[in-house]
Amino acid sequence: MTDTHCPYCSLQCGMTLTGRRTLEVQAWPEFPVNEGGLCRKGWTAAGLRGHRERLTTPLVRDRATGELTAVSWDTALDVVASRVRDLQAGHGPDAVAVFGGGGLTNEKAYLLGKLARVALGTSQIDYNGRWCMSSAASASNRAFGIDRGLPFPLADLEQTDVCVLVGSNLAETMPPAARHLDRLRERGGTVVVIDPRRTATADRADLVLQPVPGTDLPLALGVLHLLDAAGAVDEEYVAARTTGFDDVRRSVASWWPERVERVSGVAAEELRALAALLAGAGTVTVLTARGAEQHSQGTATVQAWINVALALGMCGRPHAGYGCLTGQGNGQGGREHGQKADQLPGYRMIDDPAAREHVAGVWGVPPASLPGRGRSAHELLDALGTEAGPKALLVHGSNIVVSAPNATHVTERLAALDLLVVADIVLSETAAMADVVLPVTQWAEETGTMTNLEGRVVLRQQAVPPPAGVRSDLDVIAGLASRLGSTAAFPTDPEEVFAELARASAGGRADYAGITYDRIRAEHGVFWPCPTPDHPGTPRLFADAFATADGRARFVAVEHVGAAEQPDGAYPLHLTTGRVLAQYQSGAQTRRVRALPDDGVFVELHPMLAARIGARDGEPVVVTTRRGELRAPARVVATIRPDTVFVPFHWVGANRLTNDALDPSSGMPEFKVCAAAVRT
Amino acid sequence: MSPARIVVVGAGMAAVRLVEGLVGSGHRVTLVGDEPHLPYNRILLSAVLEGTHTAGALTLRSRRWYADDDVDLRLGTRVLAVERAEREVLLVDGTRIGYDRLVLATGAIATLPPIRGLVRLDGRLHERVHAFRSLDDCRRLDAAVPHARRAVVVGGGLLGLQVARALAVRGLATEVVEGGEHLLRGQVGPAAGAILARDLRRLGTEVYTGARAVRLVDGEQGGLQLDNGHVLETDLVVLTAGGRPSTALARAAGLEVRRGVVVDEHLRTSDPVVHAIGDGAQRGGRTTGFVPPAWEQAEVLAAHLRGRAATYDGSRVVARLRATDLDVAVLGDADAAGDVVEVSNPVAGSHRRLVVRDGRIVAATLVGDLARVGLVTQHFDRGTVLGPHEPGDLLLVERPARPTAVPDDAEVCACAGVTAGRVRACSSLEDVRDTTRATTGCGGCAPAVRQLLAHRTLEVSPS
Repeated sequence: MTDTHCPYCSLQCGMTLTGRRTLEVQAWPEFPVNEGGLCRKGWTAAGLRGHRERLTTPLVRDRATGELTAVSWDTALDVVASRVRDLQAGHGPDAVAVFGGGGLTNEKAYLLGKLARVALGTSQIDYNGRWCMSSAASASNRAFGIDRGLPFPLADLEQTDVCVLVGSNLAETMPPAARHLDRLRERGGTVVVIDPRRTATADRADLVLQPVPGTDLPLALGVLHLLDAAGAVDEEYVAARTTGFDDVRRSVASWWPERVERVSGVAAEELRALAALLAGAGTVTVLTARGAEQHSQGTATVQAWINVALALGMCGRPHAGYGCLTGQGNGQGGREHGQKADQLPGYRMIDDPAAREHVAGVWGVPPASLPGRGRSAHELLDALGTEAGPKALLVHGSNIVVSAPNATHVTERLAALDLLVVADIVLSETAAMADVVLPVTQWAEETGTMTNLEGRVVLRQQAVPPPAGVRSDLDVIAGLASRLGSTAAFPTDPEEVFAELARASAGGRADYAGITYDRIRAEHGVFWPCPTPDHPGTPRLFADAFATADGRARFVAVEHVGAAEQPDGAYPLHLTTGRVLAQYQSGAQTRRVRALPDDGVFVELHPMLAARIGARDGEPVVVTTRRGELRAPARVVATIRPDTVFVPFHWVGANRLTNDALDPSSGMPEFKVCAAAVRT
Repeated sequence: MSPARIVVVGAGMAAVRLVEGLVGSGHRVTLVGDEPHLPYNRILLSAVLEGTHTAGALTLRSRRWYADDDVDLRLGTRVLAVERAEREVLLVDGTRIGYDRLVLATGAIATLPPIRGLVRLDGRLHERVHAFRSLDDCRRLDAAVPHARRAVVVGGGLLGLQVARALAVRGLATEVVEGGEHLLRGQVGPAAGAILARDLRRLGTEVYTGARAVRLVDGEQGGLQLDNGHVLETDLVVLTAGGRPSTALARAAGLEVRRGVVVDEHLRTSDPVVHAIGDGAQRGGRTTGFVPPAWEQAEVLAAHLRGRAATYDGSRVVARLRATDLDVAVLGDADAAGDVVEVSNPVAGSHRRLVVRDGRIVAATLVGDLARVGLVTQHFDRGTVLGPHEPGDLLLVERPARPTAVPDDAEVCACAGVTAGRVRACSSLEDVRDTTRATTGCGGCAPAVRQLLAHRTLEVSPS
């Protein structure tokens, strides 16, 4: 019996694994986030074990024949190290880049960052978390001085009076979280869902607004306009705990409901209903997710909703405030320990001299030897194989070919590399392009910590031995570091790596210094910041002060610019993307679990639009954008806006359509809206 | 263009939009306005009167905001003349301000209807008579409301109806006098106008159409006399009818003026260094009285003054009535040519009309039922080409799906992947939980599972 956590999303549901040959998932009712509940992805998680597609030997490609050949680990790592050395000798240290993932454990994320900065000496490291919650991260840092997805335990939602979900479909993307919404409503509270689609989450809401994709920002401006007009701003709180409100108040004076209606497609009356609900509530919690965040103005959109929560005086109050529902399993921890282009462990900024000195001290290297800020994820991919860009890429925990925006272009960039190295459990679409494929351990075969959407550090424990021939990412990193001649320590025992990570994070914003594996086991996880062994951890932030220099939250005035690509005569519709319940991210894992239905990609559209183009339910339609084309069966549903089509992104195809316009602050691509055409 | 001195005359909504667009451009901007207040959102004045909007929330930008960008604010003063030869404007206090570019954003001014007794000998309005254009007008009327019982609003246009509703909500017995044959005659046809009049009467406001106010009758039983001889007793008269582009300054400066100040696609007047935007400007034979086109002009001019390519070719207008319990949206020109798709239900007080040309909605009127206003506006603004049945479908209410028996192979619990058949095979909710794990994930299927368990013997499943 091993208590551990689900291999998938940021909820990191607790579960118990039994059996050694045939692994079985059992409920772990004591773990508070999911109380024994799981979705079908969790229940069937053991299905990946022993899959016939599982990689168990390193592979090296002969570029002349294009064939992958099985080789020994020593050969594979020697090839990688020698190619890396050659490329760096010819083009400098930044010729080699590293791409990580928000599904990697904290230990792996940390060691990957250390590999880049110490053994490779490259500034070119980033990860797919940029495509997850980076817009919320960037807005939260600006507003609160800290970025922890939820500044309170998820169960606090049950006690809030009004919960506003902006662009979240948690009933399908993290089903066990929905229990907290249900209890909120049983208590008499109200749930509001804002989404262009009437989703399973919207089905349990009291008020549903269906805006044009890309207009959550003007909705927030309109709400604040009405709150101010009604005198519902908590002036005392604003004066005592915030700065910058005056500019924000003035900036929303020109966002009256009828103007918002014209931009967002949400009737003025619906906006008024929402504002009245918020004005009359004792406690309000605003939560954003990818729907609000994956835009070229994602940071501004999140900020606009933070402004609403602050004006109502909610942030830092019990059972109220703003939070982001992080997506990936370790989306939170993955961004805290150094796989982001601009950060060092402990959520330290890489251009802060004090941060460099501290981390360099832990690593035993001179601070000046640490590289500076690198390119953000999409900028990095965009530069691959170009004159000024990296010539080699090491990928851990990411299936870029499926998940990158404007994927055809990104795939071309990957193909232009001199060396692509991918560590994965199966031959994913990205691994299939690699020069060297390294088979690594997966969930249940290894131990490591994850930090869930609440900032709770949890422990995934090994339950079974890995298949023969497979190594952990930690082993791979250490093996490469030693071949590259690094003198710094690269431990391979996860607990030892975690202890080093804790030291490196000490004094940073995300301080893990007081957290140990034993404490996590004993306490059902520990919330950071936790600076010392006797510190209880911090389930709730901001009660007394925000993490800014002056302790006050920052209002920031934001303007609506709109999606980078607007519909026109040739592409008259909006395309938006998202997830389905039974699949996860690029599907590299879930598409191989036999017990999970894999219906393939589909195109959701409204009956009015279907009638316009002559489409029938179940029959193929073709979606085109300026970047690509996708043919898939139509799903005709009245729950989507008639001017919008939806395509799930778990299969190759959706992201050949999406737009890679970036948010200037977070580097987030505009996955959630672009102009499209549909025909039969 | 290189840094220039730009003087903006008028400090209304178009002017502020222009200044916002010039932030960071390097131009030195002077904003001259005759009202003493910081520029504010004029179109929400009726909401302030109604009491749903605090006056403090109208201000568009703080004084510091202007200072931060070195905008020279000259409020509470008036431009006496534009001296184009010297490229100077002359203020009433004798100050002269030089310009490289001048922008006239002087808006519109109220015209007094020909009603005898409106104006006193000293030239001011009779104490019972109110205009409703500025914040001061609004405050004066607001102060008079608590002492009044009855009010008559002259003018049945958008502003008139908003003010009438505001006064009625404030508890005054309110009546509307409209000289034309129906309400909102600038925007809607007679059928919609008639429905609106009925709505207003239902809300307690009497409406007189085809009636002209001719004389203000003084005295204890004073009131407003109509051209049919009828006298409407009232404590307050609010003038909302009439308004025309404010062009005196431009005319005196010798610029080309027809109804408004004539401008080209770069918002240039007949003098290439003088521009005009907003309600006072006339482009392609048209003046507009709405904020969105005024803002579009301001944005185009700001871009032009920053040396970026931008031209103004006329805007699509969406007029929305902002009044409690009166729902009206008018898109485009009322007289636009095209096929008319119309659903009118005077019984329910709704009237919806789309004008469609080449598959596109070129104009629309929605009264009383705005359920689809958001979508119709999107289609209108984006010029979406619709299918032949779509305009009709847009005007119909969505029919709820008919309930059908759930077949055994239908999935009930998405979280655990459990079908109705498997639930039906269970003895109790506990049994369902233990053997299928349905209801233990998100919990959303719990009502369906309970129903299936309760009615399973009654259900006839096809398989």
